[in-house]
Amino acid sequence: MEDFVDGLTRGNVSQVKTVLASIVLALALYQVALMAVAYGKLRVSFLKPKAASFTHRSVGDAAVAIGIFVAFLCYSYFGVGDGIEHARDEETGRATIHVVAGSLFIVAVMAKIVVVRWWRRLERFLPALGLTMLSLFSVAWITSAGNYLWGS
Amino acid sequence: MAPGPSYKAQLLGSLLAAVLIVAITVAAVTLAIGPGLDSTELRERERLQEERQERREERREERADPA
Repeated sequence: MEDFVDGLTRGNVSQVKTVLASIVLALALYQVALMAVAYGKLRVSFLKPKAASFTHRSVGDAAVAIGIFVAFLCYSYFGVGDGIEHARDEETGRATIHVVAGSLFIVAVMAKIVVVRWWRRLERFLPALGLTMLSLFSVAWITSAGNYLWGS
Repeated sequence: MAPGPSYKAQLLGSLLAAVLIVAITVAAVTLAIGPGLDSTELRERERLQEERQERREERREERADPA
């Protein structure tokens, strides 16, 4: 699997991951703005709640697909235990936080999908779930892509 | 109050905004990463360095033992 990922990214796994994760983060911030319009917290003349809500769903589907692909690259190339074990001494903490935040993000995404599609009774928790997803992804991004960008 | 753009225009505009966000992010991050060697080039460089090292060692051995 490592060779497949290596070939797919032409040997630039970290760089591809950094670009894709940054796209997801940028879209996640846009998603928050869209939902602020959809819930009526932010009123703008050019966008109404119904359209904002639809775009939120479409952009969210795309962002989740990219996020899952990033997770696949990360897991198949670096692994979970290996990623932490093989990190340099001073990087073990960062790698651990990244793995925990990334895993919890996937759990939060699944919880949100379940609530949106099947468990509408818990709809009132959607804003909190959305913000939790944004926070977790931000932590995962800071401890990988952010670290890579600041370090380079 | 002005009625604002139609529903279709709102959808199109907000989706185009998402595309624009993606394009700007790709450009900004790619620019920040900058050009670098990919792993194939790195491996090739490593291989060349090893070959050079081997040749240097061979020459050293030949000098030490001319017979």
